Amino acid sequence: MADPELHVKINSLICEGTAYCVRINPDVFGIGTDGLGEVLVDRPAPEFEDSLEEAATLCPTRAITY
Amino acid sequence: METIRDMEPPPHIIGIKHFVDYKTVDEILKSKNFRQGSHQESQPFFGDSLLTIDHGEHFERRRLEAPLFRKEALEYYEREELLPLISSSLEECEQNRGADGLVRADLCLLVRNMLARISAVTTGIDGVDTPERTDAFRTYVEQLGTGATVEWSTEDHGEVIERILAIRQGFVEEFYGPSVERRCELIDQFRAGQISEDDLPRDLLTLMYLHWNEDWDDELPLREATLYTVASSQTTTHAVPHMMMHLHEWFEVHPEDYEKRFDREFLKRAGHEAIRLHLPSPALLRIALEDVTLSNGIEIAEGERVACLFTPANRDTSVFGDDAKSFDPYREVPDVKPWGFAFGGGEHTCIGRTLVTGLSARTDGDEGTDGTLVNIALALFGAGIELDPEEMPAFTELSYHDAYGRFPVILRDL
Repeated sequence: MADPELHVKINSLICEGTAYCVRINPDVFGIGTDGLGEVLVDRPAPEFEDSLEEAATLCPTRAITY
Repeated sequence: METIRDMEPPPHIIGIKHFVDYKTVDEILKSKNFRQGSHQESQPFFGDSLLTIDHGEHFERRRLEAPLFRKEALEYYEREELLPLISSSLEECEQNRGADGLVRADLCLLVRNMLARISAVTTGIDGVDTPERTDAFRTYVEQLGTGATVEWSTEDHGEVIERILAIRQGFVEEFYGPSVERRCELIDQFRAGQISEDDLPRDLLTLMYLHWNEDWDDELPLREATLYTVASSQTTTHAVPHMMMHLHEWFEVHPEDYEKRFDREFLKRAGHEAIRLHLPSPALLRIALEDVTLSNGIEIAEGERVACLFTPANRDTSVFGDDAKSFDPYREVPDVKPWGFAFGGGEHTCIGRTLVTGLSARTDGDEGTDGTLVNIALALFGAGIELDPEEMPAFTELSYHDAYGRFPVILRDL
């Protein structure tokens, strides 16, 4: 069951399509047709929080919030 | 004094294709069809560091090091390290009170000293804990920075490399070697179950030795540490004098804004404008991995090196407005990063950017820190910073970088 406190977003204005987030968590993140990151599951389960933190920190442009 | 100058391309990028418009530079930096092409001569200092590796290798190295810049880590650096260091650095300035009762300082040296200790913490260099040791460390970092950016030097490059390699040996003996030795001992204790992982320092060198990669050469941590110590101090050291100069000019024309010198949001915008106009890395090179045709129709052959000139790109009027070549702390650029390419772009975006701009920048969507520029500016205004009318700032002549070499100030309220 999704945790309502985890709400994943990618700021498309600053995302640069490095796809690092996809490498960390391909269940939550993907690459859109525009080559930029897209959120596949915007309200994931709590067990995803650690990987979300890693993805958000690793993103070179810090485009991810959750 | 002309405070916003056009970029003079250094010799090492003359003769190759230059790209100066924002859109094309952005395309190249984001493209997976290029690899890092800078720092060719400075390989002894930055070779195989995060700055110079690409794609899969870059991802793995960045993944290892990214925890140093987690939100909690940034909050710790700012609260427990940066703010006390700023205060103590200003207190030390009081020892230089003149006969007229005024405290004078060179802002370039002052900020470099402030950042030296922060860079030591994130890198994992011990013993930067007294004014004398800080001064020694700062001097080493400054020299290492000269070596690591030798491509931009106006001196003979071979002589610079030889000189700085000799100086680096002193750095290894005085600071780096003992720091590594202590960390390796702690890691051995951790692996023996004598201490927990929480007892290990949280810094670059600990991470590297804890997660050693057999593909690394023995000297790689030294080069990575060089990158961190230089890069983590360089941007702020470069930017603060520019920021202070532009605010000095701005307040002369807009005296009604002088009261905003303690306004964090105003200072944040001022900092963004300062680094947009005066980039610590004004140009970077990329090498095409295959034949590429850019969106503008220009063809680049496989193996061809091209130069992305950030200074003109950051002053692109189609992106930043008709007055892009001037300082405006109220500039609104909703569609791009307010600092433009000051921290590069694509996967090579500076890993330490949030140390400088803070996490509460508009592009982070998070609250937490204000970064070095805002905090140092606040402290300087709190100390009553003024330009010294008897001694004007001067740009460095030792490098093609758009940097001050000397920035005399009076700290009137110390």
